[in-house]
Amino acid sequence: MAKIKRKGESGAAKNYVTRNQALKKLQISLSDFRRLCILKGIYPREPLNKKRANKGSSAPATFYYHKDIQYLLHEPLLVKFREHKSFAKKLARALGRGEWALAKNLEDAKPVARLDHLVKERYPTFTLALQDLQDPLNLVHLFSTLPTNPIPGKTLVPSSVIAECSRLISEWKVWAIRTNSLRKIFLGVKGIYYECEVPGQGGESVKVRWLEGYEFQQHVPTDVDFRILLTFLDLYRTLISFTLFKLYTEENLVYPPPLDVELDEKGESVGAFRLVEKKDNLGVESSKVSKKAVRKAIRGIKASTGDVDADVEMDEDEQAGNEEDDEEFVERPTKSGEEVEDVATAPLTTYNSLLATSSNAASTSKQNLLFSPYTFYLSRETSSRTWEFVIRAMGGKIITSLNSPTPSDDSITHVIIDRPITVERMREMENGRKWTWIQPQWVADCVNRQKIISSEGYHPGQLLPPHLSPWDGEGELDRPWLEDQQNAAITAAQEEADQEEDVIEQDAPEEDESEDEKDEEEIAGSKYPPALLASSLDPENVSLLHAAELEAEQNGVSYSAFRNQLKEAIKANSKDGSTKSQVGKKGGEEDLRKIMMSNKKAKLYEKMQYSNREKAAEKENLERKRLAIEKRKRKEARA
Amino acid sequence: MAPRNATASSSRAASSSISRPVKSNGNAGPSTIRNKKRAVQEVSEDEDDEDFGAAGSGIDMSDDEDAEEEEDEEDEEEFPEFDSEIEDDNEKDGDGDDETEEEEELDDEESGSESGYNSSDIEAMYGEVDEDDDQEDYSPITSPSSSHKELSTDEKLSKMIAKNSIKPDDSLGTDAKISRAKEGVGRLVPSKLVEGGYKREYDDYEAGYGSESSTEDNPNTVGNIPMEWYDDLPHIGYDVNGRKIFRPAQGDELDKFLSNTEDPAAWTSAEDRLLQQSVQLTDKELDIIRRLERAENPDADYDPYQPTIEWFTGEGNERVMPLSAAPEPKRRFVPSKWEHKKIMKIVKAIREGRITPNKPSAAKPTVYAIWSESDQSNLQHAMYMPAPQLPPPKTIESYNPPEEYLLTEEEKKEWEETDKEDRKIDFLPAKYDSLRLVPGYKNLVQERFERCLDLYLAPRTRKVKLNIDPESLIPKLPAPKELKPFPISTSVAYRHPESSIVRSVSTSPDGLWVATGSEDGIVRVWDLGNGREVWKWDLKNGAIQHLSFSPYKDECLLIALVSGKIAVLSPVALVSPSVAANTLTHANTAFASSAATTKIGAGKDIKGVESIKWVRPNENERERGVLVYVEVPGTPKQVSWHRKGDYFATVASDASNKSVLIHQLSKHSTQSPFKKLPGQVQKVIFHPSKPHFFVATQRYIRQYDLSSQTLVRTLQSGVKWISSVDLHPRGDNLIIGSYDKKLAWFDLDLSNKPYKTLRYHTKALRSVVYHPTLPLFASASDDGTIHIFHCTIYQDLMQNPLIVPLKILRGHKITDGIGVLDLSWVSGKPWLVSSGADGEVRLWCS
Repeated sequence: MAKIKRKGESGAAKNYVTRNQALKKLQISLSDFRRLCILKGIYPREPLNKKRANKGSSAPATFYYHKDIQYLLHEPLLVKFREHKSFAKKLARALGRGEWALAKNLEDAKPVARLDHLVKERYPTFTLALQDLQDPLNLVHLFSTLPTNPIPGKTLVPSSVIAECSRLISEWKVWAIRTNSLRKIFLGVKGIYYECEVPGQGGESVKVRWLEGYEFQQHVPTDVDFRILLTFLDLYRTLISFTLFKLYTEENLVYPPPLDVELDEKGESVGAFRLVEKKDNLGVESSKVSKKAVRKAIRGIKASTGDVDADVEMDEDEQAGNEEDDEEFVERPTKSGEEVEDVATAPLTTYNSLLATSSNAASTSKQNLLFSPYTFYLSRETSSRTWEFVIRAMGGKIITSLNSPTPSDDSITHVIIDRPITVERMREMENGRKWTWIQPQWVADCVNRQKIISSEGYHPGQLLPPHLSPWDGEGELDRPWLEDQQNAAITAAQEEADQEEDVIEQDAPEEDESEDEKDEEEIAGSKYPPALLASSLDPENVSLLHAAELEAEQNGVSYSAFRNQLKEAIKANSKDGSTKSQVGKKGGEEDLRKIMMSNKKAKLYEKMQYSNREKAAEKENLERKRLAIEKRKRKEARA
Repeated sequence: MAPRNATASSSRAASSSISRPVKSNGNAGPSTIRNKKRAVQEVSEDEDDEDFGAAGSGIDMSDDEDAEEEEDEEDEEEFPEFDSEIEDDNEKDGDGDDETEEEEELDDEESGSESGYNSSDIEAMYGEVDEDDDQEDYSPITSPSSSHKELSTDEKLSKMIAKNSIKPDDSLGTDAKISRAKEGVGRLVPSKLVEGGYKREYDDYEAGYGSESSTEDNPNTVGNIPMEWYDDLPHIGYDVNGRKIFRPAQGDELDKFLSNTEDPAAWTSAEDRLLQQSVQLTDKELDIIRRLERAENPDADYDPYQPTIEWFTGEGNERVMPLSAAPEPKRRFVPSKWEHKKIMKIVKAIREGRITPNKPSAAKPTVYAIWSESDQSNLQHAMYMPAPQLPPPKTIESYNPPEEYLLTEEEKKEWEETDKEDRKIDFLPAKYDSLRLVPGYKNLVQERFERCLDLYLAPRTRKVKLNIDPESLIPKLPAPKELKPFPISTSVAYRHPESSIVRSVSTSPDGLWVATGSEDGIVRVWDLGNGREVWKWDLKNGAIQHLSFSPYKDECLLIALVSGKIAVLSPVALVSPSVAANTLTHANTAFASSAATTKIGAGKDIKGVESIKWVRPNENERERGVLVYVEVPGTPKQVSWHRKGDYFATVASDASNKSVLIHQLSKHSTQSPFKKLPGQVQKVIFHPSKPHFFVATQRYIRQYDLSSQTLVRTLQSGVKWISSVDLHPRGDNLIIGSYDKKLAWFDLDLSNKPYKTLRYHTKALRSVVYHPTLPLFASASDDGTIHIFHCTIYQDLMQNPLIVPLKILRGHKITDGIGVLDLSWVSGKPWLVSSGADGEVRLWCS
């Protein structure tokens, strides 16, 4: 006879426990449970059948996976919580009795919960930790910008925590500058997004993106529970500090980097940290393997960016073979005789001198950086916290308004200014030197495109070209016209150098004319060359497009003109096609086949079609709006 | 000397029993002063007991000496002689005691060397205290022992003895009164009862104020009784000697009044109940009354605010009541040797610098290398679900987006009106001319907080993201153009006058004629090819419910149903003479055999078919082609021919158990196959090859074997209301149409449940028909469309039939919510004839 199956002994009833059951099992308070869940990364589950999981009751409940709770049972933190509870009781008792000496003794022997094991447990590999670094960086940055004098009833964040947060975020940036790993930057409404490429375990690079709000006092809503945030912050601080330790060690730097108090008080953000290289050879040897990995990672990055000349790579490949070169790659201290543990006595390198010192070691990579040849002057209204970081990370030198209230250095090549300024004043300040005056967005756009773009359109007081997200995700609109504008701007800028600036003026009437002629063109479709026509019929086909381009080249048509032609042809065809499709009833056949779909598939199909339609509608809406705006602008220009 | 020895030994025993606590007293710590006192008290009491025992036993032996001594002693001292004796004994047996003393000292030395304390110091200290105590408290008692000083060679011993002689009560003067008796107040008188014994006599007590007898000055002795018992008597009671006390003279009321008014002291007098006379109250008594009136303490001398005398509380007054008489153990007041050893060890370690006090414990470094290159993630577990990352920002979030991303006024309004949770984007897109104009984002903290909440509160489930082309979900079917021919478009329309609804349509088996039955009650026969009306007959009995040509090709028989009647028609003029002859013979043979114009149903033996009559129409009608009328109960709704064209079955409404009838044309007979019907029968149909009969009720289709008269199977349609049924010409597949828009295909070899249920019409299905020869079927619906399907049925039983939708035929107009009503395939050709509620019959050709 088969074993009798009893209710509630297997399946969902066994696999899930409600929150209250978990509390009872763990014998802790709800707040302790919350803290434990946050730190251990345990989250509720949604059972497939709630009623079955709740043993027949359909009352609303939060379910946890039974084994998660089982793991919590022997969590060392749980013991610490209990210790802390009894400590709090003892301390309260001592204070209540006025036994100050006892209270002090207790306070000295306060149980401290450490989260190291959790970091290792939750992120078994370094790569996993990096992949989950977005939230920690966001939160730590947010806390670093909270007011340090706690507002009663609102924030009760100790100032030490805030200080630590700002230290961590600065250390992270210092590392990013040192390794030049900044890849993308996006100026959003919510703040500034940055993306760094960080070498993970075994050299695989992980992209870490984080958001920094603008430098204003944070609005703290009343319904935000800071206890939850602080619990998260505890874990995140630990995680970030361990991550930074690893990253700094890979770079053969001492972590934590000592802070130059003087510079810090002067208002230097990232420059206040001094990077100290490690002295002991033991550390170098132990991290030899990882060094290779790092270099591999760097090479990988270069390959992906593609703007590194091949011979440098070749050189590095040759070096990769022998160990001695490896040793060279590791920045070995000049005097290795004495073991200098003390950070204070070690030779300090500030960031300003770092570029020079590190140039001999990693010169090849440095020279290829975007802003290496330039020196930027930051006007006082620009955020030095942002731009100093970005420019340094891209290899540029920087002179802030902190150092000199007015730009006077001869090495300056670019002035970043964010306020309108007259040309006379500009010339006056230049004093015969040739500076490029730009708005901050130029820097961001350069970083995102990985090339120095023309400063045309970015001059102070000018209306800036739109700033686009570097993460072309789903639902992003193709903007070929923007490329065109950019190209036009570049060519215009080139021509401007030797000619007058009437090129743009010429462009505009041409467009108008083509608009007027459109009706005629549509009728006479045969006026397009055959390859262009074929490409316009199937705009997605790359090979056809290529053929059309070749044809245009043969005919001696310029690229922009070709684009215009192609666009018109596509438009004309689409109009024809829409009428044709109505007549041809291609959809009718598909409708019939759909009859034979099973119910399940039919529903799925309908869902997919719905979402596709939504996306298409959104896109169409954007396109419609764009055309309307263009039309209006043209009209305004004409008037 | 023997008796003396005896006493000595007994007293020695006493002393030895005492000596231990005394010895221990010497070593008492500072905190045990009180204990020591208590111990002393105990000891002295014990001693008393022993003394009594000793006195009892040794009275006669110590008669002279002791008595003499006793006389010398002071009276207060009870039994001083024993004390002195003990002292004597102690003196005599000094050696033994000294030994113990020496031992004690040795012990002290030992303990001192180990514990680091000098016990003698302590003893000296307490010794002083003891001396003080002695002088203050015990001196009157200790002084009488005259021999004490002579014998005080050993200081400690004498002190000890002095302590032993302390009377506990004396130390606390308050108890003096209680212990008066013990102090020997009273005289010793030779006892009369015991010879040579003494007894103590005490003085009488003088009863003072407060004693009960002092207030007994009342001469009347009657006691506390109701005095009215003596009302009738001349006396009021008796005095101590038993003489009557006579009632005192009492004046009348006037005298009383006068005395009250005249005597100034009258109001301070009270009536003595026992003596029956008024008594003047004394000043003291009046004072008591006054005090009572004021709710004060009646005692004038009582001082409510007198200083508290702390008898039992406060410093020095604690009384320790021992729960056991066991002597205080040494460990209570001697510091622990082992603790001391341990402490000394620690002290030594500290001195040598091995231990640093208050040194912070060596903690782990705050950060260290936690990850190595050899780490391996073991997170392939099915339940491991990392939190999803925040998506990257899109261009719409830019501080300077392309203008088309900005919301229009309507969109902005819509955004503001939607709930916070339902918004597609959580911010309003904005365009700023320069970066310095961008304000701080207000919701940053809130967003971070919500993200945190999501991380630990939101349940996570794994969602499979289908990355498939939606088109791949559509089944792969052969293209319709590969499956030609099938009807595509209307080629002929047969128009009815006044657009009367055409309920039924049927094509002749030779494919030349189309018969239609419309609601105006006229059966029309049209030329299929050109749409010309060639024959018509008005049945004059309401709408034509249904009509059908016989499938037998050599005859041209048409059955039309009207209310209460089945008409067997034949457009004989249209058909070839041979066919016409066949038809007439078939229909009329039975009339010839019965030789009667009217024939009652042949199945007379079958109960319940009596009301069915086969009627021969008149000559005129017969010439036009009306062959037979069959009168049936109710309104017949459907007729279904057997393949051979002799039998046909009808379904009628409102005919109870006679709604399903099977008629035989050649014999003019009618049978009612069911005594009781399983429900409201919708349609019936003959099996093309077997003697089987299908009956469709509202939800089920039952297959009966007519020859064995059994139910073969019941098909569960799964639809709500079956409207139409058709059987595949091969007889193993069946389709039904339903009023709830579904078409169900049954594979009779496969299951009792539909192989496929299709739902593609938007309104109720009216008719479903298989093509008699080609692999086609069609369905007509109230939505005005006709769907044409291809259906291949394979010989292989394992292969499912292939159903391919081919075409939607549109053309019929919907009138009063009714679209296409009936369909009929043209035999041998892929043509379809359909009739609609718009009064049109259409021929659809390929």
